[in-house]
Amino acid sequence: MIVAKDYSIELDVIEGNPTLKALDDVIIKPIDERPSKKFNIVLSITVTLLLILAVCVGFTFYFGIGLWGNNQPVAWAFDITNFVFWVGIGHAGTLISAILYLLRQQWRNGIARFAEAMTIFAVICAGMFPIIHMGRPWLAGYLIPYPNSHLIWPNFISPLVWDVFAVSTYLTVSLVFWYVGLIPDFATLRDRSTNKIKKTIYSIFSLGWRSSNRHWKHYEKVYMILAGLATPLVLSVHTVVSWDFAAAVIPGWHSTIFPPYFVAGAIFSGFAMVSTVLIFVRTVFNMEHIITIDHIEKMNKIILLTGSMVGYAYVIEWFMSWYSGTPFELFTAMNRAFGPYAWAYWIMVSCNVFSPQLFWFKKIRRSIPITLLIVILVNVGMWFERFVIIVSSLNRDFLPSSWHYYKPTIFDFGILLGSFGLFFTLILLFAKTLPVVSLAEIKSVVKGAQPDHRGGNHNA
Amino acid sequence: MPDKKLFGITALFDSPDSILNAAKKIKEAGYKNYDINTPYPIHGMDDIISAKPSKLSYITLFIGFSVAAFILSFMWWTLAINYPLVIGGKPYFPLPAFVPITFEFTVLLGVLSTVFGMIAIAFNLPYNSHPLLDTEYMRNVTSDKYGAIIEAEDPQFDEKKVKDYLMSLGGNSIESIYQPEEIKFKVFEPKFLIFLTIVAVLSAATTYISIDKLMYITPFDFMLNQKKGSAQAESSFFTDKYEMRQPPVGTVARGFLLYEFIRVADTNQFYGNPLLPTKKVLVLGQSKFLTFCSPCHGDYADDNSRLMAQFPPGPTLHSARVISFTDGKIYNIITNGQNVMPSYDSQITREERWSIINYIRVLQRAQNPKPSDFTTIKEFKKESGNVQN
Amino acid sequence: MSKIESGYIKKELPKNIGNIGLILLVVGIILSLIAYLTDPARAAFSYLTAFIFFICIGLGSLFLVTLEYAAGAVWSVPFRRISEFYASSVPYYILLVIPLFFSMHNLFTWMNPGVVAQDKVLQGRMVYLNVPFFVVRESAIFLIWWLFYALLINNSRKQDESSDQKLTAKNIKLSIAFIPIFAFTISIISFDWMMSMTPKWFSTIFGVYLFAGSTWVALAVLTLSAVLLAENGYLSPKVKRDHYYSLGTLMFAFTVFWAYIAFAQYMLQWYGNLPEEIIYFIHRWTGGWKYVSLALVIVHFIVPFLILLPRSSKTNPKILVFVSIWIIAAQYLDSYWLVMPDMVNNGFTYSFSWIDISFPIAVAGLVIVLFNSMVKKHNLIPLGDPKLQRSFDFHL
Repeated sequence: MIVAKDYSIELDVIEGNPTLKALDDVIIKPIDERPSKKFNIVLSITVTLLLILAVCVGFTFYFGIGLWGNNQPVAWAFDITNFVFWVGIGHAGTLISAILYLLRQQWRNGIARFAEAMTIFAVICAGMFPIIHMGRPWLAGYLIPYPNSHLIWPNFISPLVWDVFAVSTYLTVSLVFWYVGLIPDFATLRDRSTNKIKKTIYSIFSLGWRSSNRHWKHYEKVYMILAGLATPLVLSVHTVVSWDFAAAVIPGWHSTIFPPYFVAGAIFSGFAMVSTVLIFVRTVFNMEHIITIDHIEKMNKIILLTGSMVGYAYVIEWFMSWYSGTPFELFTAMNRAFGPYAWAYWIMVSCNVFSPQLFWFKKIRRSIPITLLIVILVNVGMWFERFVIIVSSLNRDFLPSSWHYYKPTIFDFGILLGSFGLFFTLILLFAKTLPVVSLAEIKSVVKGAQPDHRGGNHNA
Repeated sequence: MPDKKLFGITALFDSPDSILNAAKKIKEAGYKNYDINTPYPIHGMDDIISAKPSKLSYITLFIGFSVAAFILSFMWWTLAINYPLVIGGKPYFPLPAFVPITFEFTVLLGVLSTVFGMIAIAFNLPYNSHPLLDTEYMRNVTSDKYGAIIEAEDPQFDEKKVKDYLMSLGGNSIESIYQPEEIKFKVFEPKFLIFLTIVAVLSAATTYISIDKLMYITPFDFMLNQKKGSAQAESSFFTDKYEMRQPPVGTVARGFLLYEFIRVADTNQFYGNPLLPTKKVLVLGQSKFLTFCSPCHGDYADDNSRLMAQFPPGPTLHSARVISFTDGKIYNIITNGQNVMPSYDSQITREERWSIINYIRVLQRAQNPKPSDFTTIKEFKKESGNVQN
Repeated sequence: MSKIESGYIKKELPKNIGNIGLILLVVGIILSLIAYLTDPARAAFSYLTAFIFFICIGLGSLFLVTLEYAAGAVWSVPFRRISEFYASSVPYYILLVIPLFFSMHNLFTWMNPGVVAQDKVLQGRMVYLNVPFFVVRESAIFLIWWLFYALLINNSRKQDESSDQKLTAKNIKLSIAFIPIFAFTISIISFDWMMSMTPKWFSTIFGVYLFAGSTWVALAVLTLSAVLLAENGYLSPKVKRDHYYSLGTLMFAFTVFWAYIAFAQYMLQWYGNLPEEIIYFIHRWTGGWKYVSLALVIVHFIVPFLILLPRSSKTNPKILVFVSIWIIAAQYLDSYWLVMPDMVNNGFTYSFSWIDISFPIAVAGLVIVLFNSMVKKHNLIPLGDPKLQRSFDFHL
């Protein structure tokens, strides 16, 4: 039975009415406890995947890119697909931390810390790929503009160099933003801990934070500036990544809608991954009252919105490939849907366009098992979207005599699987060492957290 | 217990309303040196205690614009001034292509400068030891209670009065905070110096060993010992042991015209002179003749040369024999050499050789003019109005 | 909420405003008619510019209304009715487009059979770009917009009396249905009326470009009206300067968003330098258009960006009014830049003419007249909206 909604009342962000101390206890509990057996089992699985990554990357460094399936003309395949995939996943974190903060959406407070951590780990996974896909990764330093013996500078006109700046800026800013959010929490941990080593570490990282109003004043200003700068940054990073493709003149790549299309797709896949992880976290750590079904529902609405934006872009690209009158464009569109990679195309369309449309229905939005299924499908679909864009356009471009089918090798799969291992290992380690919910932020939105006489709400 | 210096008196409050109220009262009571500590920012606190707004945003603004200008100039200098390259047909300073990097770098430096500003200015690193740290008050205030502290420095401070006042506001757990003992660290402490030395030695040693020794050991020398053929080395691949190869027989380099009579002194046919005796050709021919030919043959191609005294002297080019040579034969002689004269094909380009031959013909004509030449010269001089004869 | 609780007093706008609007409208119509009679081809282009601008305001305002419903925004509730009033121009599109249908042959190269016969690309598009399909398509779109406008506004007005929350729920559903339809229809409008003027050109982001500009100018007219009305007591005393903050922030955000979309479009086509794509920008860089393009960057992006950057500007009524007027003018410049340089495609040479002033005068007059008549008939704040109290409680 669906109860009619009352729009005149403010919804609570956190369920129940936990005291501040109770919040502290439930959030810090995983950090204080020794890892459980289940945790160790899951960790060993992810570390195994991580080892697979290390082994495959090691082999790649020693023997070269020939171990992968890349050929001419498909010179970019799994490597760049994975790169764009992971960078895209990172975007949800910054969106939740920065953009939802600027939009005064208080429900973000329970999920921001975890999402930001996921951003950083996803960008680490992503940043690995441009380096390992080089023929001579030990010369990666040449991408940085420093005076060198060749007397030559990096090509600042190339989108690949823009990528270097964009992704490293994104990693740095995300780290800084995450760290600034952690400072008050480190102070809380410092004051709670009794273990001497832990206390020293927390003291160092908390920078002498005293929760003084003088500090909060500067802190809030800086947080606002960071959020305001991180917002255009996150949009620009995936824009620059999209320009890796759009700046080329290959049909299927050279399309002006790529920047907003990729950004929408990034938010889409990022939110899907955040949902996937948070569904597990809230149950495992008993935080269902902090990360509520309302939050999951709101995230599903955003997934629906961005999924529809991606669908819009698909339709416009289809239409424009016909409208342009260029036979190459039309062929590429046909080739994607009916050519040798048609199987990948239809997986992509069904996962990206059809499955999130189920979120129109409130019952499905509020059902955890179906949500979990849909968001996993979305991630699969978004991986395939990058795969289709890259491989099908390269596989058959202008000259038919150059066409060549691409088949991934075991090392391609190993690196893809291993990158998930890296990501989830980092997440598990994070969950056990740092508070997964921002203590200061969540306390500030509990009912009764703000003085009454100021009245009402700050909710937008 | 030694007489510790009092820093201030703290009080804890249980609700955000009570702390807001307390802050208002403390301000109204005229206290200046006080602070409020809460686990999260309380709305309205800034207005109540009339805190001046944070000026950190000016750092962001200033650094942001400076960095944008800097990075744009840097990219302009590297790609338009220092090592100009035409890339993709774009101009040396393609502004649309520089925008993404400018934006990213501006955001990066803006963020870093703001955060460092906050840490340096607001948190007062590295001198962040503070009497409130590691107290029961702090333990509560970072967790779930709200606190106020009135510092001893305040002109109105009186220990008993302040304690009573705070209690009257509704505070509990009134605590006296003392200044911690000052521990001074000497810079020239022996332990520290030893530590510095060890670190210095270790880093120097590591750097030296890795750059100067490690790079030459397998497998790190893989870039030094590459499986490729070096031009001067012995080849294990080719049977004649030469790494440098000759071009295949019969190939001709691009733009190169074959001279079929190379190293052939006497043939039946010769090439014809492709150059007409224009002024340009003759000027070139004169200059090259004077450079290469005049030492042996003389400035005027007679035998009055600088080598006159040597044996054998360079012959005169005005003999009937030489006049009867075709241009092509002279070309062949210059290219292949003859008797004592060496081959000049590596010193004089083909165009220059033909020009020299044209000049030689001029010299020959000058020495053995036809009678009609004089009339021609007289008429030319009359026409051009040249009085001087 | 009752009028007493909200502090809202219904009053008419000063007589001057209605009069000015009427004068502008009549003068504008007369001048436009003269323009059509003297130089129909030129008039067609000017009319198209003005028409696109007019759509931006009306449709953009309708979008803002649906955005508030869909996002569940609270701060904007007192202002929603103002956007509804601006959206009241939506039903008139179907009428106002008729002169354009009659002068289409001046605007579009694909209507010229001689040109089409020689160009393979245009022949390929004939199944989409032909007069019957074109007319039907545009009319259908305008009718769909009219339908949504009518349903949404009807529910909103009914709620003033009944305060029935079911109406809000209905409007939320309508809004969520409208938004994807809006996305596709505004794209089709932009492709049909503007993109097709340059024969071989195409850009997949063009619909988003028009969307950005349209929402931007809708925010500007909203801010201008909201601030002036609030400061002069036409809304409720409970509407505070804090409420203006989000208007200012949104205008700032869309300034940046427009610049981002415009730059993405320009940079990619500049970078690829393909003949079929770059012709669009070459037309906008030759002769005097170079200066207009540069002016557009400064006027449409740099100036509003710098003005709206500080936090204090976004709650300062004087600055908000100034920058709103600036933005409205800037968006007209954008519409001008989108339409006018394409005159060369059909063989016309461009030169600035008085005709370009006559149509905007008519548009300004029409907007003011419509708004004024709405204020006379309906409440300026949605009294029955359940979120109104929460909105009055809102503060930064």
